[in-house]
Amino acid sequence: MNDMASGLFQVPWSDYRSDLIDALWRTLSYTVVSFVGAVLLGLAVALLRLSKAWPARAVAAVYTEVFKNIPLLAIIFLSYFGLASAGLRLDVFTAGCLSLVVFYAAYLSEIFRSAISGVHAGQTEAGEALGLGKVGIFSHVILPQAVRQALPGTNTMLVDLLKSTSLLVTVSAAELMSEGRLITSATFRALEVYLVISAVYFALCYPLSQLLLLLERKVRAGVPLSPWRRRRMRAARELLANDLGVPVDRKEATV
Amino acid sequence: MTEPVTTTEITTSPATDAVVRIDGLSKSFDGRLVLDDVHLEVGRGRIVSVIGQSGGGKTTLMRCVNLLERPDKGMVEVAGEVVHQGGRTVCRDLARLRRTVGMVFQRFHLFPHLTAVENVVLAQRKAGIPEQEALERAVALLRRVNVAHRALAQPEQLSGGEQQRVAIARALALKPEVLLFDEPTSSLDPEATREVLSVMRELAADGMTMLLVTHELPFAREVADHVVFVDGGRIVEAGRPEDVLDNPAQDRTREFLASYGTAS
Repeated sequence: MNDMASGLFQVPWSDYRSDLIDALWRTLSYTVVSFVGAVLLGLAVALLRLSKAWPARAVAAVYTEVFKNIPLLAIIFLSYFGLASAGLRLDVFTAGCLSLVVFYAAYLSEIFRSAISGVHAGQTEAGEALGLGKVGIFSHVILPQAVRQALPGTNTMLVDLLKSTSLLVTVSAAELMSEGRLITSATFRALEVYLVISAVYFALCYPLSQLLLLLERKVRAGVPLSPWRRRRMRAARELLANDLGVPVDRKEATV
Repeated sequence: MTEPVTTTEITTSPATDAVVRIDGLSKSFDGRLVLDDVHLEVGRGRIVSVIGQSGGGKTTLMRCVNLLERPDKGMVEVAGEVVHQGGRTVCRDLARLRRTVGMVFQRFHLFPHLTAVENVVLAQRKAGIPEQEALERAVALLRRVNVAHRALAQPEQLSGGEQQRVAIARALALKPEVLLFDEPTSSLDPEATREVLSVMRELAADGMTMLLVTHELPFAREVADHVVFVDGGRIVEAGRPEDVLDNPAQDRTREFLASYGTAS
């Protein structure tokens, strides 16, 4: 047992600590930048797809279908090697993020589209009847409900995106997987190195997905997450308590 | 155009103090005429109840008042301002029109992501009312409709009757000059119906101007000053509730009331 363990773990990990931390940092940077970009682009594509103008819908539909039906790796090669050969030389971070953004935006746009169109038409009418404008209805009525609907799918995509950053090893993006490959070529300990790299990915993804599940549950239960909503609820509670001593069910809107 | 009844003669309020005036209104959907040359007037403090079969144009008529539907022809005037004429919206400020006209829907349409009190606050804030004032008014209104104890609940935690009462509070939040009720009790069980009707009765007693589409004929008889029977997109008969509901002049009205088992 001891022999096996000592046989398995022979890489001098302490020598690689700072390199690994850099690589971890790079993986997280790719994830955060790409995810933010993909959410924004995905929302824009979803809105185009729900537009009244058919050319806008067509552009959005073509975009979604194209990027959903080619492999991420092909997109990575296209944006790093392909564009470079056509004279547009992107650095590896830009090319990597661009690939992840356009790929995941296609999936997210589908999630957002169904979430937005899933909000009942009566909600828009209720907003109109209250004199809310188009922007007010979208931002205060449609979007919050759509977010609630879209959260589970979006969260799955975030974790998936984090794992997909490992594909950037093919363009030596200096993230975790690339670092693993470097250590392997220096030590020839592929099993040990890739087990450790896998464990790091797991240590990132598992808590992240659990955290997102918790967030989903809180949002679904209507827990006020923003500070101004909390302030409003606190003020309402005070008013209700002071005013006439109306007993308020406290268990509501908490988890 | 040759209908025997005009509503203006029977409405007791002077025409100059009408909160809602509808004249020669027509509207079709996909070539099907759902409203045909309709005249209607709701005087200040008056309660007008529109009755008739489903699909007869009642709801469309009501939705023309706050321009959720745009009429093809005719004139709509709200609070002394012509808002729609000859198929064109002439209202300068649609948001202001809709704050002048409160609306309560059959299916409540509360905002499910917000608590009851936030539902009542939202439009007030958008209308520029300060936070604390909006909250205070919301709480006062929830108390008025007897759901203050549920102020912090999400709509899905509320019963149908509670949801509809929150919806009434929401519609009252911007101090509208007229409230539209679109079959407010049609999705409710008898107990919840009683709760909602009792709130509406109180509003009526407070002098609220109301235009009400309903299947609750006993309630219409009790609170309405004026009952309008709409059928096939036209006003067939209109007048005081005891006249229209008890001594209808038109055969069509009699048939409709008979199908309701005379509903008294």
